Amino acid sequence: MTRRYGIFTGGIDIPDEKQATLDEPIAPAWEAEVLRVPLAPCGGQAAEPVVEPGQDVQAGQRLAEAGPGGVDIFAPLAGTVRAVAPVTTAVGRQLLRMPAVELVDLSGPREIPTGPETFDWSSAQPEELRRRLDESQLTTLRRRPQPLGRWVRRAAKAGCEVLVVNAMESQPYVTADHRLLVEYGEEVMRGLAILARAIGAKRCVLAVDRRRTGDYDHLLAPAEHFEVEHVALPHKYPIGSDPILLKVLTRREVPCGGGPLDIGAAVIEPAGCLAAYFWVARKVRLNGRVVTISGEHVTRPANLFVPFGVDARSLLHSARPPYIMGGPMIGTLCEGDAVIGPATNVLLAIDPTPTGSPSQCIRCGWCRDHCPTRLNVAVLNDLYELARVESAELLGVLSCMECGVCSYVCPARLPLTRRMGELKHAIRRLRPGPAARDESLAHPHPETT
Amino acid sequence: MPATIKTTHPPLEVQPVFTGDSAPLLRAPEKIQSIFAVTTAAACLPLMAGWLFFGYHAVIVSVVSVVSCVGLEWLYYRVTHSPALFGRAHAYLTGVLLALTLPPFTPWYVVALAAAFAILVGKAVFGGVGHFLWQPALVGRFAAAVILPALAQLAPVGETGKTVTLTPAQWPLLARDHLLLGDLDNVAQDRMYSYLGWSDRTAPPGAEGFALPHPADTLGPLTRGEEPAYSALAYPRTDAPNREPAVLTVLPPVGDFLFGARPGGVGETCAALILLAGLYLVYRNYVKWQLPFAFLASAALLAAVAPVRLAGPNQTIEWTWFPLFTEGLDVGFTYVCYQVLSGAMLLAAFFLATEMTSSPVTTGGQVIFGVGGGLIAMGLQLYFDTAIPAYLAVLAMNTLTPGIDALWLPRVFGQKHFAWLRRR
Repeated sequence: MTRRYGIFTGGIDIPDEKQATLDEPIAPAWEAEVLRVPLAPCGGQAAEPVVEPGQDVQAGQRLAEAGPGGVDIFAPLAGTVRAVAPVTTAVGRQLLRMPAVELVDLSGPREIPTGPETFDWSSAQPEELRRRLDESQLTTLRRRPQPLGRWVRRAAKAGCEVLVVNAMESQPYVTADHRLLVEYGEEVMRGLAILARAIGAKRCVLAVDRRRTGDYDHLLAPAEHFEVEHVALPHKYPIGSDPILLKVLTRREVPCGGGPLDIGAAVIEPAGCLAAYFWVARKVRLNGRVVTISGEHVTRPANLFVPFGVDARSLLHSARPPYIMGGPMIGTLCEGDAVIGPATNVLLAIDPTPTGSPSQCIRCGWCRDHCPTRLNVAVLNDLYELARVESAELLGVLSCMECGVCSYVCPARLPLTRRMGELKHAIRRLRPGPAARDESLAHPHPETT
Repeated sequence: MPATIKTTHPPLEVQPVFTGDSAPLLRAPEKIQSIFAVTTAAACLPLMAGWLFFGYHAVIVSVVSVVSCVGLEWLYYRVTHSPALFGRAHAYLTGVLLALTLPPFTPWYVVALAAAFAILVGKAVFGGVGHFLWQPALVGRFAAAVILPALAQLAPVGETGKTVTLTPAQWPLLARDHLLLGDLDNVAQDRMYSYLGWSDRTAPPGAEGFALPHPADTLGPLTRGEEPAYSALAYPRTDAPNREPAVLTVLPPVGDFLFGARPGGVGETCAALILLAGLYLVYRNYVKWQLPFAFLASAALLAAVAPVRLAGPNQTIEWTWFPLFTEGLDVGFTYVCYQVLSGAMLLAAFFLATEMTSSPVTTGGQVIFGVGGGLIAMGLQLYFDTAIPAYLAVLAMNTLTPGIDALWLPRVFGQKHFAWLRRR
């Protein structure tokens, strides 16, 4: 049963260019010959390597011991450790340089593993499920990944009533979650049921694009079985942004500067559900993720299951850098040596729109008209230029989810999104208390898919 | 410390990498230059109607206006060594808009002076595009409105042709057989209060057009009670019972109003083309429809309800509320249409009030702006004898724009209502 919901004010229709990979089945990434597994997939402090150069490792063997707030790192494939070397990967809005364990002489299967369920999760206690998810050392596969176990515990502690699977993919080019739902839909549903049971959520919602509902017919039976609401929403960027999606689904607004947990809702993506299911039910740790390889310079667009640590050049060999990691609206530019981490759902070889130097704001008000949070971006831009941070906070700049709409429409080509981000950053730096110390925890960054 | 590191690699930390361009990496194709270019092109439509009805005088006004605006902007940036913003596209736009608002008989030096005011006082003093407070073209028009009556008084009595064209009471208009090529200086005076329509008359012998009272100047005395024998809505009630309302006899027919065959500024007259160009700008999203709609609707509403001094029985003059209903809806409707169309309100609402920089950012603020502008414009037209009521209204609302922007703050997603008030 598919219910129809309303829509939000603002937002834009962008050409979404998904046709190239929409029907490409998930394939293994055969090309990779070297893995550089990043040691700080969540940002923060890097994990400490426990392997020596020259050592042979098996698939799934522990490579590094977690630092505080991080996760242990495991070998996605069997191979030989060559060195610990720096790599870059996108986490959240930034491209981060971090240490990585370099594996060569790779061997072993590269497909998404299959196997029987070995654990009866449907009758397990929530605490048992949470303990298993803690053990998994998995991360959520969002733009700013968090350790999955810790995410579940925080959601359970916050008393989340709604668990939303955000499969909107409102950014252009991205089809990874769509393919995952088409091919592994039932597993995703089971993972969702596991997470809902671990969190104690009473209501589960699977939010998908209205144009794709025809591909998800096979999800209706499991959805009914696991009491998951199947919601089709219209396509308008940035409906894949967590606060906007929750507003549309629950009519509740994430408070200014807060996160979804503040309104008793938790948001996860299909890939995270799948990883949770594989670990809890099958005791298989997924050390990779589905990545959409697309863009006008790519000869063969595809959806690949890529082990963590494959560099962008080996996936996009024919195209020239810079590449775009994480989607054209919220991603970052990267070079060929950037590697796939848990945050990378798409890797693009497209030409960014040349912007030239920004000119003067003429107060056309388009940024304000299209802002999904109704921020008066033109005035905030003035405040940014005058460095008046407190006035900007008063005008609610902390509600900004950095979806990129204001920069997209700006006829003066001003980098408005970046400026809003800097204003938010300055406000949090100035604010006293623990918030300044652990920014990512106290102010969960709103996610957009 | 370095001696205790057991691995061979140097200590590595997690740190951000500067990537150059930031998200989003796709941008919409719209640019500021295209906004100005399209708006200029749209403004050229009513300008061409002005060329048609006012002949080469209007062409001279337009060319002088555009050339001096662009030249002055170039000169200003050359002298002050500041970068020329947007390739002078905005100077072209200002020149065209200024030409639209000026009377077709304006001498070229007045046009150049108005352009100087527009560029130097209206724009450059504030720091260029994006910073000015008042619509620059209207600053220039305001200067011209101050200069023109002074020039009319200075004109020598002997030169009758010049004196006639500079007097605002008689405005020239080409006849239909001398369109585009006629000479505005060679017009014959038409009798007041007996307007016969433009479309079915050719030029008087020896002349190329008519000298007519401006419709706003005709309406003004009729609603201000300055002509006891007439009023806008009816003749005196002691007259014959089958009297004709004055709005139906002494003003141009509706067709002339729509297609621009009436006295007025170069681009003020052709309502049909102004509407067409304005709606195109609305379609392109360069103009939000709320602003012109609020402007015109509030002006029409005020004209429909505000009291005017009309001729009553026995040669008396009395204040009459609700002129829309005084003589029946049909006459009242014609009256309201004439009040809205006789001045420059349509042009002001679609082209001058909607200047992006000098109007509020938010849609709600633009509605406030439009309502205020419409009320002021119609109030000035009804109760004060001003030459440029609509432009003055826009300038007044431009002055209030920063205040509207500061006070009209819609609720932001995730904030409580009036959060900006509570936390102060």
